[in-house]
Amino acid sequence: MTHYFAGLDIGSTMTKVVIISDKLEASLIGPTGPEHRKLANKVMEEALDLAGLRFIDLTYIVATGYGRINVPFADRQITEITCHARGIHSLLPTVKTIVDIGGQDSKGIKIKDGKVTNFVMNDKCAAGTGRFLEVIADSLGVPLERLGELSLTARKAAEISSTCTVFAEHEVNNQLANGESVANLIAGIHQSVATRVYSLVRKLKIEPDVAITGGGAKNIGLVKALETRFGYPVLVPPEPLITGALGAALIGKEVYEKYTTEGQTPIRCGRGLEEATFFS
Amino acid sequence: MAEDKKPRALATQAAGKIPKFVRGSLSATLKAKEEGKKVAYAYIADGQDEIMRAMDIVPAWGESFAGVCAAKRDAEKFLQKAEADNFSRSLCTYATCTIGFDMMREELNGEPVPGAPWGGMARPDMILGSGQLLCDPRFKWPQATQHYIPDVPVFVGNMYYPPFDPKLDHKDQEKFYVKYAADELRELVKFCEKVTGKKMDWDRLAALTELSDKTWDLFIDTYELRKAIPTPMDTGDAMNTMVPFTFNLATQEAYDFYKDLYDELQQKIADKKGVVEDEKYRILWGAGLPSWFALGDFQYFNNKGAVFPVEVTYRGGEKIERLDLPKTNDPLEHIAWRWVRYWTHWYDKARKRPGSIPKVERIIEYIEDYKCDGVVFHSAFSCRSWHAGIIHQANTLKKVYGDIPVLIMEGDIVDISSYNEADTHNRIDAFIETLDAAKKRKG
Ligand code: SF4
Repeated sequence: MTHYFAGLDIGSTMTKVVIISDKLEASLIGPTGPEHRKLANKVMEEALDLAGLRFIDLTYIVATGYGRINVPFADRQITEITCHARGIHSLLPTVKTIVDIGGQDSKGIKIKDGKVTNFVMNDKCAAGTGRFLEVIADSLGVPLERLGELSLTARKAAEISSTCTVFAEHEVNNQLANGESVANLIAGIHQSVATRVYSLVRKLKIEPDVAITGGGAKNIGLVKALETRFGYPVLVPPEPLITGALGAALIGKEVYEKYTTEGQTPIRCGRGLEEATFFS
Repeated sequence: MAEDKKPRALATQAAGKIPKFVRGSLSATLKAKEEGKKVAYAYIADGQDEIMRAMDIVPAWGESFAGVCAAKRDAEKFLQKAEADNFSRSLCTYATCTIGFDMMREELNGEPVPGAPWGGMARPDMILGSGQLLCDPRFKWPQATQHYIPDVPVFVGNMYYPPFDPKLDHKDQEKFYVKYAADELRELVKFCEKVTGKKMDWDRLAALTELSDKTWDLFIDTYELRKAIPTPMDTGDAMNTMVPFTFNLATQEAYDFYKDLYDELQQKIADKKGVVEDEKYRILWGAGLPSWFALGDFQYFNNKGAVFPVEVTYRGGEKIERLDLPKTNDPLEHIAWRWVRYWTHWYDKARKRPGSIPKVERIIEYIEDYKCDGVVFHSAFSCRSWHAGIIHQANTLKKVYGDIPVLIMEGDIVDISSYNEADTHNRIDAFIETLDAAKKRKG
């Protein structure tokens, strides 16, 4: 009988689901709504459809991310720090430092054999996070997903001295009015984010290989700016948004296997997927 | 989760007596006038306790008052008042909270400020500051306060100790520092005599110094009981039980408090009663003052099977015999020796370990003595004296000792706007998982 394991990562802006058996069965990314619980239910349903599975086919479910405690049907909650480490280790085993740039926060994680040895988080300030890029993209009228490629066309990155999101937005508008090109400004903004992220992660002893995850890793301009800061190339997993959910699914599988090797059954939360509507 | 929302439960009965101590200290300042006593604005850990007590000067502790305001989540009005006079939020919030309170009280011509937590502090008759290597507000806070109470005389003594240099034996210089500190204390006595119009009773000072020494010893003996597994007392309680040692030193009540705590901890050890039922992780509180408005976070750790059997913060003493103090009949010289030897206590150890520093040696000593699995630092942004060195300490610890899990929490002592409960708990969760992984790795 095949066992299926699900990892559900509810971040501040995106919800990610990964279903695995001995291989990847399905992965799905959707936006996080104000009511994580309801959405978790929906995204999970879609992921199950994709994999051609029913909820009762899942052997164990692990939730991670900021919204993890709001998932009623998860058997276990584990922080995104541990899950990212596990997920990245399975994809890129040589990685020793992970830089995760999310929508509302960024983190640095040191790992050894797939286990976390140290971490730092920036969760108090939008600078150095995806939110910073979002605000600036909005102000420049450029779609967020185009920021990266546009920055690569810059002749010279503009200097953005403010690290505060609000002041930086003001500074960008001023420079724009003074004739600075959009591409140069975007490159400057990427450098600013990279500097913030670098100064955060530097609190850990950064050791290569370094992997970038989270939404920030999908922005080629930011990845290049970070490589310049680090002084060497960084690795980006094929789908950098799902490493946390993947790690969660893998940990679920390990928990299950550990229990069964010891002749025990892991305790499940006992909630059906349909019960999520109970919370609406 | 529901279990995480419980209010902070104290592990010891002794900690339950602390509000009476704190309230008592505040109300003593309000009653002082009727009793014909003088009130002094005082600052902790500065070697002045015995002198004040021997001269019947009632200390008004700004740090304690600001801590109460923070714990009651009622500091904002004082912080805003100080801010309105251009005191930045990044300055020590013990100082700015108290200065804001002073401003309000002065606007009421020195009368009590309505709604001030536990009645607030009385207008002082003097300010006894103590500049020392600990922090810069120790100089600037009294000076800034004087802007609002310009008629109140200020004395700022300098209590120094030899700085650490791995290539130098500080003992070659300590006599100079002891003489300097004793001279400063002598000047303080003269100042207090002038303000109170009373002469120092030197026999009483000697007796109180002896009482303090006994309290130092008992305090350490009591805290060392926490080495037991499971530990009978947590840092969450120690942030309360530090009060008599920190604010009531040289009083019989302080000594008696630790006697009771000692007995209680012994009983708990005999009954094998720990802070938590299933003690899984032992953590050292490595540095930093806590967020007084978020002491419930200790409970959050406890709910996950994590306990703090030891902390560096507010453990401002050592067993007197370990300090090996030279004999002297002069109580001021004795206090000066105790001061210098305490602050340099980990210097010799640090010199022996290349790359180490005294603060890290102290951490290593506690990790080993109390069998700790990890270290938590709290970086309270407005307390620069702690905040500035925390990352350096954490990095040095990892370099000279090994890769022990470390969590650096961020917040402030008083300013609640620095705090986000969900993020703090998320960090704690991740740290617990890191501790767990490290323990499994070790086997
Ligand atoms: S800066 Fe820190 S050590 Fe100095 S008075 Fe303020 S809280 Fe105390």
